[in-house]
Amino acid sequence: MRKLIIWLFLIGICSATLQAEEALVVIGHSALQKTDLATLQRLYTGRVVSLDQQPATPLNLPPGHPVREQFLASILGQSEEQYSGYWLVRRYVGKGTPPQELPSPEEIIRSISSTPGAVGYLPLSKVPAGSNIIFKR
Amino acid sequence: MLAKFLLTLILALPLSSHALDLNWAGFGTAGYTISDQAYKYQRFIDDQGTFKRDSVIGAQVDLKFNQQWGAAVQAKLAPSDHSDSQWQGFLSWAFVSWRPTDDLLVRVGKLRVPLMLNTENQDVGATYDWARLPVEVYSIAPTTDYVGLSISKSWFVQEIEWNLDAYTGQATNYTRYYGREIRDGLSTPGSWFEKLDVRSSGLVLTARGLDNMFRVGVHEATISQPGGTISDIPYRPLAPGVGIYDLASGRNVAQLVAPFQIIGASVLIPGDIRLTSEYAHIKITSASRGMTRWGAYLAVSRQFGAWNPYVYYARTKSSAASLDLYRAINGNSNPMLPPALNNYQKLGADIVSPYDQSTSALGTSYRLAAHSLIKAEWSQTRTGIASSLIDAPSGGDSANQRINVFSLSYHFTF
Repeated sequence: MRKLIIWLFLIGICSATLQAEEALVVIGHSALQKTDLATLQRLYTGRVVSLDQQPATPLNLPPGHPVREQFLASILGQSEEQYSGYWLVRRYVGKGTPPQELPSPEEIIRSISSTPGAVGYLPLSKVPAGSNIIFKR
Repeated sequence: MLAKFLLTLILALPLSSHALDLNWAGFGTAGYTISDQAYKYQRFIDDQGTFKRDSVIGAQVDLKFNQQWGAAVQAKLAPSDHSDSQWQGFLSWAFVSWRPTDDLLVRVGKLRVPLMLNTENQDVGATYDWARLPVEVYSIAPTTDYVGLSISKSWFVQEIEWNLDAYTGQATNYTRYYGREIRDGLSTPGSWFEKLDVRSSGLVLTARGLDNMFRVGVHEATISQPGGTISDIPYRPLAPGVGIYDLASGRNVAQLVAPFQIIGASVLIPGDIRLTSEYAHIKITSASRGMTRWGAYLAVSRQFGAWNPYVYYARTKSSAASLDLYRAINGNSNPMLPPALNNYQKLGADIVSPYDQSTSALGTSYRLAAHSLIKAEWSQTRTGIASSLIDAPSGGDSANQRINVFSLSYHFTF
């Protein structure tokens, strides 16, 4: 009986952890095709500026937003400090500015629907029906 | 003139743009530095303390007209590059950029030479952890700015981004000299600044990963001045066993060609320890042939949360031939000669511009927030035969000196 309680307790902890890390989805404007992890990493670090040979505009959530932190950690493999530091140097060596920041997932969705080439990331639960999912983690 | 033209071009471009994206950012450093010596080191540092060595404030505006076309202007206020007593506004960057494909970036305008690992961002102290970039290496190039063309080609090998940068352009800059007895045109000690036209070109290969960076570059600067440049300081006999090294008898050349090479790396090794090392070498065949020198440093740092302590050792040394020439001129003092001629020899020795010094530094940065940090550093510089980074006192020289320097600075971006 005690073993069963311990097992249930451990399963509860695991499922709570899994729920905290909701899947991330990257959506793009309707004309964009599916992409891969390496290309996304390059897009959000300014090393490529196009997808499918058309101009791309990556969108970010603001620093401190939990979804942004999850995106940086799971897609770019960086902490907020590393990512901000990277763009700080890149800006001051004259090689561009960081992606535009929008305050909420809802703003990201709005911008993507109206901006050709726009790309943004969302938690799976926030993705509207019919969205163009170009990458799923 | 060209900079004005480019600025006009940058300001005119938005008029034809449909969706202008404008970003601006500012940066600054308030740095206090004091040494234990009465003479000046690196222009400003002495035992009275100074804010002038490291303090700077600036701003940058980035314009994006579309995904291909952009522009940037960076201006700063810092101590003048042609006066030790004044502050001056500088236009550090002013360029139009064109990125026709992902792997090609073309920039035209006022740009900074991709020399050492931190040359392009050297004014923004928040982008590196040292209180001051090692002067033994970062002072070696005749110019860090140019107005011209830069073409950058990039490609990826797995997660490493490779960049090949080619650039060419020209700039007017100033080289500072210090005469410990007399100076050019004046019979009192002090500094003066030679205005030079520098045309530079180069090819730089950089590899960047998430944690590591490598760079190798070959550059060439062609230096000229109105009226020409003196290329040597010949010895002129006045009587048996007595003579002077005479600048006025030096050969006048229209221009000098100065090749220089750099190699550097910054790598993260196991234990989260960062090793950074750079080496630079330049050859200048002029009366100031002490500027023919090499410089190198090795830095070790490790991040502990907000703290990033570091140590480094840096060294620079002029060529043996130029140090020999300096010693010969500096030692050519003869009681049979009038004092003015003996002072003239000291002036000649100072113009040779010898370098022979090393620095050991221990410091840390502490990140207060994402956009601000403070840095503290203690360093000790030791000179050998001489160092032109020291304003040597009258009646003495810069040989065998030991300078302790303490620096405290606050760096921010916004």
